[in-house]
Amino acid sequence: MTTVSTAPPPARTHHRARQGRRRMPVLGALPFLAPALALYGIFLLFPIVSAVYLSFMRWNGFPTVPPVWAGLDNYRDILTNDTVFHTALRNSVIWVVLSLIVPTVLALLLALALNRRLLGRNLLRSAFYIPAVLASIAVATMWTWLYNPNSGLVNGTLNALGLSSWIQDWLGEPRIALYSVFVAFVWQTTGFSMVLFLAGLQTVPADLVEAAKLDGASAWQSFRNVTLPALRPTFTVVLVLTVISSLKVFDLIVGMTNGGPAQSSQVLALWSYSQSFINHNFGGGNALAVVLLLITLALVLPYLMWTLKEDER
Amino acid sequence: MNAVRRANFPLIGLWIALVVTALIWLAPFAFMVLTSLKSTAEIGRGSIWSLPEVWRWDNYLNAAERGDLWGVAANSAYIALIKVPLGLLVSAAAAFAIARLRFKRHRALLIVIALGAMVPVQVALAPMFTTLSSMGLLNSVNGIILPYLAFGIPYQVFFLYGFFRSLPRELDEAARIDGSGNWRLFLSVCLPLAKPALAALFILDFVATWNEYGMALVLLQDQEVRTVPLALQAFQSQFASNYGQLNAFIIMSILPVLIVYLMFQRFFTQGALAGAVKG
Amino acid sequence: MRTPTKAAALAAAALLLAACTGRVEDTAQTSGGPVELSWWMVTQNSDTATSALKSIIADFEKQNPGITVDLQFRAVDAHKDALRTTAGSTSGPDIYYNWAGPGLGGELVKAGVSLDLATYYQRYKWADRFNTSTLAAYTQYGGHHGVPWTQRTEVVYYHKDQFAKAGVDGPPTTYEEWAAAARKLKDAGLTPLSTGGKDNWHVMRLLDTFIETNCGAELGDELNTRATSWAGQPCVDKSFEQLKQWSADYFNKGFAGLPATEAAALFNSGRSAMQIEGDWFTQQNLDAGDDQNNVGVFPMPTGTGRLYGFSEGMYITKTSKHPDAAATFLDYFTSAAVEGKYLGVFSSVPVNKETRSANALQPINAEIAGLSGKAKGFFLNNDQNFPTDVTTEYWRIQNGVTSGSIAPKEAGALLQRFIDTHKD
Repeated sequence: MTTVSTAPPPARTHHRARQGRRRMPVLGALPFLAPALALYGIFLLFPIVSAVYLSFMRWNGFPTVPPVWAGLDNYRDILTNDTVFHTALRNSVIWVVLSLIVPTVLALLLALALNRRLLGRNLLRSAFYIPAVLASIAVATMWTWLYNPNSGLVNGTLNALGLSSWIQDWLGEPRIALYSVFVAFVWQTTGFSMVLFLAGLQTVPADLVEAAKLDGASAWQSFRNVTLPALRPTFTVVLVLTVISSLKVFDLIVGMTNGGPAQSSQVLALWSYSQSFINHNFGGGNALAVVLLLITLALVLPYLMWTLKEDER
Repeated sequence: MNAVRRANFPLIGLWIALVVTALIWLAPFAFMVLTSLKSTAEIGRGSIWSLPEVWRWDNYLNAAERGDLWGVAANSAYIALIKVPLGLLVSAAAAFAIARLRFKRHRALLIVIALGAMVPVQVALAPMFTTLSSMGLLNSVNGIILPYLAFGIPYQVFFLYGFFRSLPRELDEAARIDGSGNWRLFLSVCLPLAKPALAALFILDFVATWNEYGMALVLLQDQEVRTVPLALQAFQSQFASNYGQLNAFIIMSILPVLIVYLMFQRFFTQGALAGAVKG
Repeated sequence: MRTPTKAAALAAAALLLAACTGRVEDTAQTSGGPVELSWWMVTQNSDTATSALKSIIADFEKQNPGITVDLQFRAVDAHKDALRTTAGSTSGPDIYYNWAGPGLGGELVKAGVSLDLATYYQRYKWADRFNTSTLAAYTQYGGHHGVPWTQRTEVVYYHKDQFAKAGVDGPPTTYEEWAAAARKLKDAGLTPLSTGGKDNWHVMRLLDTFIETNCGAELGDELNTRATSWAGQPCVDKSFEQLKQWSADYFNKGFAGLPATEAAALFNSGRSAMQIEGDWFTQQNLDAGDDQNNVGVFPMPTGTGRLYGFSEGMYITKTSKHPDAAATFLDYFTSAAVEGKYLGVFSSVPVNKETRSANALQPINAEIAGLSGKAKGFFLNNDQNFPTDVTTEYWRIQNGVTSGSIAPKEAGALLQRFIDTHKD
């Protein structure tokens, strides 16, 4: 918002100026920008600013009780007195790293396979994509049921396969609860990355692949030297989207474990929410939110700058 | 199917592997459908893959009634059908301005807007609650549309910006020589060209809006304004042990997005998202 | 700095919204005109209870022509959120439901949401109306905040046939007998106690019980009100030790990931021998088709003679424009006639001393009501004793102990450390 309003209004503004785009006035752009900027300002920027402000206050969320300035206390508490923060941070990191690897590799393999001319190719693509259109809360409810220790699909199948020694209390065992939820996440998100890779594969120049083949390159060589370089932008998009969505993971964990048992599957986004809305510690909750935001920025901002720089060329 | 006719064994092997994987991928759905047609007692004792002894179609009727399916689906549909077109228009206008009207510091503005995509919605919930509450728009299907619009803007503007940038400059020149203003250029030149991109975004946004949970949880607390995900969560916490009806309710709650997806699936499976991954 | 931002935000949003909203605020009522009271409740689990509340309102409105009552239901968390966020503003209700414990209802009293009802206690002689032990929860903050609506009692529900099959003679009266019974049930191949650990408060009921048993009433109260340290208390260590042992040996398999409703399904279908539940459970158990002649109840054998339970009450907000009308309604709502007419629908134990039940209670609820008559008082669920952040930590430690990641001996000290570093 500030960017726009602080820009000095150009001397002469003509709506239909034909002098070329260099002097195209900001006033002409404003009607197009205004609705988006107003919404963005009120419901995104303002909340973030107040979150940052509240992260320096001690406040229990009651409007009757005014927030009290606390300086950096909330941030210090996160590091020293918060018994869950370290688990939540570690789990968030594990989650991001696993998300960058598992669904991405799976999606790439599926995309490569389904980019070939195969019988029922569209049907197969749909099969893998469908989970991506489900609400996370629906996926959570489904998988809670699949993991049900008494009548669920997972243990039932293991039993039927004679693998009853593998049977676990998937969501009740603190050491594996996080990973059980992660499996549901893989099931849900792989399809979307696959579609992005498929889109990216359409940009691989077919004549180059053909030429490589004629030159006697092996499948692996042509993949490495032709396909992979062409997929680089796709990779960037997939990885960035994955980082953003995996740091935000919330619905799935709320729905399946609520961070438990014993906070063992807690992650930053959920812990921030719990601190504010469950524990009525809005200062601490907002401080966590700011930490989460900074982590995301540190991971994603370089990409944004890079994209736009490329774009200018 | 040339390849298959020439008995390309590696390809046949690949095909079989894919089909098996797809079946595993879809197994949860089959299991849910089976469960949704059984009585609770039968689920307790029967084998998980056995067909229902008695087909309990009434699970669907009872679950729909208990979870107030029609009421919540109407709320969700109302929100999505207003939010999605309106949001696309707002975002397209902004993306158009940033991409084609080249005012000063347009890149900085784009970065600021795109950064919004990184904000976990939980950060914004408390202030959002206060703002909507002071506007008298809490617990209102109209009220929640506003933050929904705001949170859709970053992705959509970023995506459409890329699209509008890729349109040749000569288009503008030609339009301007005709004497068209910015609005004409936007409405009759750029928007029509953006149809495929808008269609893809429409589906993505429809699905995302229909499925949204975090904001609705806090901003829609009255029973009459609940959306489908909230109803599903409530159903699970209240009737978790009634597996048959629970699964019936899940299936019914995901049908609308499945239908929308199947109607428009060519946009996804055939690579209409290509614009998104060109970087 | 915040106000101008907000004002700008509001102005812009109002413009945006001009097209798509039509909500009109209620015009402020002037005195003399009809009064509308807004009343916020949590969603009732049974349809019977919901319609009972509606008919109470209808009867009241008939007797008091100038007053109407608008009742709104919300789910538990939504109710808490809505109360917190509307605190101090006029968009809040006139009357609200809450749990009486300091951790829940007390938080709102401390935040200045509740009106001190001293004048109404005098006018309507409420101090004489309610059971003393229940009333204590409403006078604990000084003044009179809220009026009692229910007194909940949590006991052990058990299956008589399973006790007989395992060779357990009858309801245990000491911890040792209880533990021995659990052992015999397990040896007979039965599941002694079903709990749903995904809902932390369900497992907590056993932990709270053990603390009452091992520490006794006096020390127990001091611990639970955080007046004394949890660290280095042998009775606390012993309680966590027992919790660990019970969870390993006597709980249903896979309890940690199950919600309480699924644990209840196990009990109701005869797949567990015992479950700790409140009097509201009787109706569910009956609805699920469990044989009522085969189900019995006994109080947890803590040895202190106190029952485990809590009270729920109705509060008037400080911001209410019609406190007199609200008090008139609460006087009617808690009268012996109304409570007697609906006894068993909301709760089986009357809080009004004069109440005579109009209809026969279910046998199990009658039994629970009988227990309350003999009890030496109540000890409170700890999620109502503690502020919410301490509760969260209490549950983390409890689940850490049952899952083996926290040693029972460390538990007390861990909790105390948290309490010390989170004073408000």
